Amino acid sequence: MICAGIDAGSRTIKIVLMDAETKTVITKGLIDQGVEQEKLVLDLYERLFRDNHLNKEDVHRIVATGYGRKIINFAHATITEITCQAVGVHHLLPEAMTIIDIGGQDSKILHLDKDGKIRDFSMNDRCAGGTGHFLEVVAKRLEVSIESLGEMASKSKTPAAISSMCVVFAETEIIGLLATGKKREDIIAGIQRAIAQRVAAMSCHNGGFPIAFTGGVAMISGMDTALQSVLGHNVIVSPYPQMTCALGAAIMASSESVRARL
Amino acid sequence: MNNDPRQITLTEWDEHYEHLQKKGLREPDYGGVLSRHVGDGNKRLLKLRYDNSAAALRLWNFLLTEEKRLHQARAEGKKIVGVMKDLGTVPVMAYSLDNVAAFYPDGAWWIPCVMEFGAGLLEVADSLGIDESFCPVRAMLGAFITESHFPIPDKLICSVGATCDDFSAIAQRLDALGYPIMWWEIPHRRKPESDETAVKLPGGGAAPKSQIEFVMSEFKRIKVVLEELTGQYLNAEKLSAGIKKANQVRRCLAELRNIVFTAKLCPIGAIEMLVAEMLAIHFCSDQNETIIVLTELVNEVKSRVQFGKGVLNADAVKVFWINPVADLQVMNLLEDCGGRICGTEYLFSHALDLIPENVPAIEALAMMALADPMVGSSVDRAERICADIRRFGSEAVLISRIPGASHCALEGKVITEAIHAMLEVSVLEIEVPPVSDSIHPTLCTRLEALIETTKRRRTK
Repeated sequence: MICAGIDAGSRTIKIVLMDAETKTVITKGLIDQGVEQEKLVLDLYERLFRDNHLNKEDVHRIVATGYGRKIINFAHATITEITCQAVGVHHLLPEAMTIIDIGGQDSKILHLDKDGKIRDFSMNDRCAGGTGHFLEVVAKRLEVSIESLGEMASKSKTPAAISSMCVVFAETEIIGLLATGKKREDIIAGIQRAIAQRVAAMSCHNGGFPIAFTGGVAMISGMDTALQSVLGHNVIVSPYPQMTCALGAAIMASSESVRARL
Repeated sequence: MNNDPRQITLTEWDEHYEHLQKKGLREPDYGGVLSRHVGDGNKRLLKLRYDNSAAALRLWNFLLTEEKRLHQARAEGKKIVGVMKDLGTVPVMAYSLDNVAAFYPDGAWWIPCVMEFGAGLLEVADSLGIDESFCPVRAMLGAFITESHFPIPDKLICSVGATCDDFSAIAQRLDALGYPIMWWEIPHRRKPESDETAVKLPGGGAAPKSQIEFVMSEFKRIKVVLEELTGQYLNAEKLSAGIKKANQVRRCLAELRNIVFTAKLCPIGAIEMLVAEMLAIHFCSDQNETIIVLTELVNEVKSRVQFGKGVLNADAVKVFWINPVADLQVMNLLEDCGGRICGTEYLFSHALDLIPENVPAIEALAMMALADPMVGSSVDRAERICADIRRFGSEAVLISRIPGASHCALEGKVITEAIHAMLEVSVLEIEVPPVSDSIHPTLCTRLEALIETTKRRRTK
């Protein structure tokens, strides 16, 4: 019995196919988000079945999540990314009491109880400061790849002080810093610290420990240490940070399927 | 009672109106089909969902004809008093006199919202140097200058002191433009010191007697101004009668809130409740009619509760809503996402409490003025909110903010922390601009997440 979790995020689409009875991941996949969102979801969905020699008729339930969840018409249910993220991370890191999720266009803090249920959450989605998009803009401005940001930041001896968290103004600030001869690694380290401060300000201090770090930005090396430094606490990067939300959706689909069968 | 209570669109109301008329609907002179108000520029009405009862129809028509009522009052030679910033005390004084219509010019902040910026009021405020960095109440400036909404009042009375800075600046700009204001001061409510006489305030809390006495002296000044304006003596008897009448409104609202917020099935939607509660501030320019409108509404919800009828699903999550919202559509959205309102604090909770009738009238009003949540600390406000959450059994809390408006920049954080310290309920803070269409998906995600989270916690 296969169940699927589809996370139609702002920057990428992620799908997890799961064996509902054993709650084990059969396969997972990811593609960039685009204009024709439902078509892109369908393309990835079909590709996963094709590449893994699976039969779509074996699918019992599909749960869609993420910003684009409502346009995935073939999903049986939609659940917000907040709930799915909590379920996915709790599955992988059951001890986590706080989740920091930094995605392409928003960041979230989730506080969980010991059963993995959300006690509270806060989101930043009105401003690109504190999101993956900020890092993309920085990488582009500094003419480096986003993957190399962490490595470069680790070489920094004196991180730059970035005062603006508005992407547009920060870009201007970066230009100014470059003009004064500031090294790129120092600017990147400064930006990572600024993002960490921004995210930490979203009630991070009120949660329990340990803290799990997930979302696409958790894959960028250096961000976890920037967060640790700001929070003064250890931060555990979740396994498959880009996929945890889709994983949560797949788990919710599986649980519902199993419940329906009983 | 309507046999099938439900929420309907404005277009559906047109058809439903015909149906009600055929069944013998009796309406006051301001009655009529709701969609006609769209012709007045209130385009936002097209996007809302309304309760389908005759009582709700009367409520909406009452609200949406206030400007006409004020113009009619002017034509009838009544004195018009603009009561600014104060929510629920000076209007009681004004309505204690004959031939007076008092209203709340600050309410003009809602005009750009319901008219989807079509009124041009904010542009006027911009041109007067009060730009978007100020609270949306700046729309009031535009309403004064264009004179296209309410008639210019014969007297403007405005509180200053422990009021919001933005509003004070806007009101001062208005004064400088040639609209003289009678200012009165409301001090920041503080806790009585150990060597001071404490006075218990309506709704809980206390203030030092010296503060009550100070506000009483301010109300005595206002009394003189109102007497001079109307040529009538505002004696203790008249004031007491005015207080009794205001309490009639407050009793109706208390009953309405109690029935609706504690009912098993939600008997009426969030928007109608918001509109009803707002009548407490200045009676929508007609105190007698306010009592009739609210009584009809109370009867409607009573009968719905009695017959086990509601407008939302039985498992709707009980949400406590804090602060008025700029775009009413978001209240519908919360209901779409599976929530219902069970408890509110729209910054005028003191106007819902009974005015003491066992103390001299001026003293009673001073006590009410000092009970205003806006003149005290956000911690005090949070305490009252927590008490109401317990009383109504709310399962989650929604703090709604308006961009540019901040009675206390940190109120969201303060209230959230206080709730977390006292109760085990989820709190969500959202920011809602006057026209929120473009951020609906984002708002929807947050509201749905609040509902999901609360429902999952139910299974504990």
